Amino acid sequence: MDPAGGAASALQLLGITKSYGSVVACDAVDLAINKGEIHGLLGENGAGKSTLMKILLGLVHRDAGSIVYGGKPVEINTPQVAAALGLGMVHQHFSLIEPLRVWENVILGDVGRIDRLAACRQVEEVGLRYGLPINPMARVEQLSAGERQRVELIKCLRRDPAVLILDEPTSVLTQAESAELFSVLRRVVQEENRAVILISHKLAEITAATDRVTVLSKGRVVFQSATGDTTATELARQMVGREVSLRAEAAALGVLPVEQYRVELASAEQVESASPDRPAALRLRELEVDVGGVAVVKRLSLDVRAGEIVGLYGVEGNGQSTLGDVLSGLVQPTSGSIELGGVPVELNRPGALQRAGLGIVPEDRHRCGVVLDMSVAENLSLKALGDIGGRHLLSRRKMHAVARRLVAEFNIVAPSLDAPVRSVSGGNQQRLVVARELSANPTVLVAAQPTRGLDVAAIEDMYLRLREAASSGVAVLLISTELEEVMELCSRVAVISSGRITGVLSIVEATAERLGMLVGGMAA
Amino acid sequence: MSVAGDVSTILASGVRLTGPLAFAACGEYIAERAGTMNISVEAMMLGGAFASVATASATGSATIGLVVGAAVGFAVAVLHGTLAHRAEINTFVVGLVLNSLVLGLTSYLIAVSRFDSHQVSLVSIPLLRDIPMVGRALFVERWPVYLLLVLVPLTWWLVERSRWGLELRAVGENPRAADVTGIRVNVRRRQALMWCGLLGGFGGAYLAVGEVGSFNQNMTAGRGYIVIAAVIFGAWRLGRTMLGCVLFGLADAMRLALPALGVTLNGQFLIAVPYVLALLAMLVFATQYREPKALGQPFERGSS
Repeated sequence: MDPAGGAASALQLLGITKSYGSVVACDAVDLAINKGEIHGLLGENGAGKSTLMKILLGLVHRDAGSIVYGGKPVEINTPQVAAALGLGMVHQHFSLIEPLRVWENVILGDVGRIDRLAACRQVEEVGLRYGLPINPMARVEQLSAGERQRVELIKCLRRDPAVLILDEPTSVLTQAESAELFSVLRRVVQEENRAVILISHKLAEITAATDRVTVLSKGRVVFQSATGDTTATELARQMVGREVSLRAEAAALGVLPVEQYRVELASAEQVESASPDRPAALRLRELEVDVGGVAVVKRLSLDVRAGEIVGLYGVEGNGQSTLGDVLSGLVQPTSGSIELGGVPVELNRPGALQRAGLGIVPEDRHRCGVVLDMSVAENLSLKALGDIGGRHLLSRRKMHAVARRLVAEFNIVAPSLDAPVRSVSGGNQQRLVVARELSANPTVLVAAQPTRGLDVAAIEDMYLRLREAASSGVAVLLISTELEEVMELCSRVAVISSGRITGVLSIVEATAERLGMLVGGMAA
Repeated sequence: MSVAGDVSTILASGVRLTGPLAFAACGEYIAERAGTMNISVEAMMLGGAFASVATASATGSATIGLVVGAAVGFAVAVLHGTLAHRAEINTFVVGLVLNSLVLGLTSYLIAVSRFDSHQVSLVSIPLLRDIPMVGRALFVERWPVYLLLVLVPLTWWLVERSRWGLELRAVGENPRAADVTGIRVNVRRRQALMWCGLLGGFGGAYLAVGEVGSFNQNMTAGRGYIVIAAVIFGAWRLGRTMLGCVLFGLADAMRLALPALGVTLNGQFLIAVPYVLALLAMLVFATQYREPKALGQPFERGSS
């Protein structure tokens, strides 16, 4: 297992297991973190990285296993215990309060009298020691993402942690800022013999900055090695290999509808070869989107043709949610255009995308998919009020007729047509969204994380609907963080990383290695 | 009457009308910095006014009346905090209900009881009171007014310099980040609300046993809302908030003085002036306006 364990080991996790209901988030994870090393933790969404770290920080309680810290078994029940032991974490999303000054943020959470001069001095001292220059009197809102990261680090390092955990620390940083961060981390482990756990899905980062690396997949440790003894290609295969090979296994065992898969493949190739000059049904051109001054989507271009399902795959937080918001019409891109059927859409008009024939199954159905306190029938007819009434009045009779037809056609189970949508299950809420969007006869359907939180039956149903839509000529864009889903449904996969499309592969080219490299932000 | 005399009269009346606003505004300022848009400051002031007159009548001491007035404001704050945080009722609904409740209750009680008149004593400052025009207006006052000289700097220090104030501002700006850092968000908010209760109650009491000497139905007549307008006018800064109180106090004094000066202007129109001023200030300074980001947003642990 771990040759470097024992005396040099700062922290050992033994057989850590945690399940949420029937979902096993961590499955007997063994992990040893040594003093003086940067330990990379690599894995996709749902691989169990976050749960493992939450257990370490006392935010989540494990079901089984033990934690050995400094040679002694410890119980970490609360974040306070974790902090007292010397475990510090820099969270992925900054926990700074913007209008406050740097020094105020740094001492927030302490107790006792405030000594501004001492606090400022400390910020400068810690900054000097680690090469994190920052003006303690600056207001956080005026700082760049990289400078904010420095404040987070100073806040953490000031408490003298033995183990420093960083969760996707470079997701909002530029290349230069990332390089700077890693040189600081190097100093932290080399000169002060601390341990650093670096959680990331970026292969370049892991190979360049870590000493050892552990790959988690589906809650298990699938690979562990000294970073020098492995390659990015190997890590890529280990990170996504299980799902891809699972699919091959399943196909071999006859679990998957192989026939349909072949048909889809064939038709995809047909479309591909037949249509270089035919305009794409959905064309995203050089989209750039800023959120709060940070470029989240960068020069993103993608075509989806009628009759195909294209997957947009990537680890969460790489800009796909924002792209979903753009396609919902909730966010306006800073530049670039969206064309439907070759015609650019005026994005500054609410509902323009919908009128142009785009249907959307949004990522968060409670936020923008359904109105929870309105009835099933009302929700079903929200997009087509013209069909169920005149200029001023709605006909309940017509509304119910439409709703009855859709409920039957899409197998929506609801206590009644007048029941509030809140009272039906998540799967049925999602069926309702799909029914409403497809009933408007769209030419393009965007489905963002359409199966998130659904049960198996509802997932099957969703897959069926998406396939049917594609075979009836709708261009389907599937935004998903689930590789299995993308592999099962799509004829082409576009991989998004840090807001850019790093590559588009046809499903036959999509090997674990190539996908893994693209997800990790490297060319493949 | 001479022009100097008119100015002196209006100034004196303006200072008297500013006092109650300034006390309550110090409280409202703290509550809003912590993220609570505290509408029930009107109830705190009105309750404090009634309680001070009743207590002064019963004990014969206007000073005890002031203390009890503040205590009643505090009680309203505790009620507000309990309903808004523990019972999780919308804070605006709670505020409106409390304002109506206290108005109804005090109107009933004043109709069925009789109170003797008591007033706190005047303090006049030698030498300064002899300054022409402004001397009598500024330096011959009921003694509680002079407390403002301590209270305003204290409020500033609490919010800007103490750890409590730092946590308060954190809670008002980004309760989730504050929570992650280990600050008990709703506890801080309730504490800020209670400060507001004490000061709002005191402000109302000062109006009753300080300036007027008696209680009449709906005595505060929307001064709580003026206080809220002053905090908005002040762009959530203490200095500007106090300036807002003075402006609104002077506008009120003008309204009372105009008929005596022989100017006929609709009094109802002048009642609207503070609000129009607040709106105009918001329009003019719109770019500089930086309200606490979480103002009026409830916080619940664990939800994201």
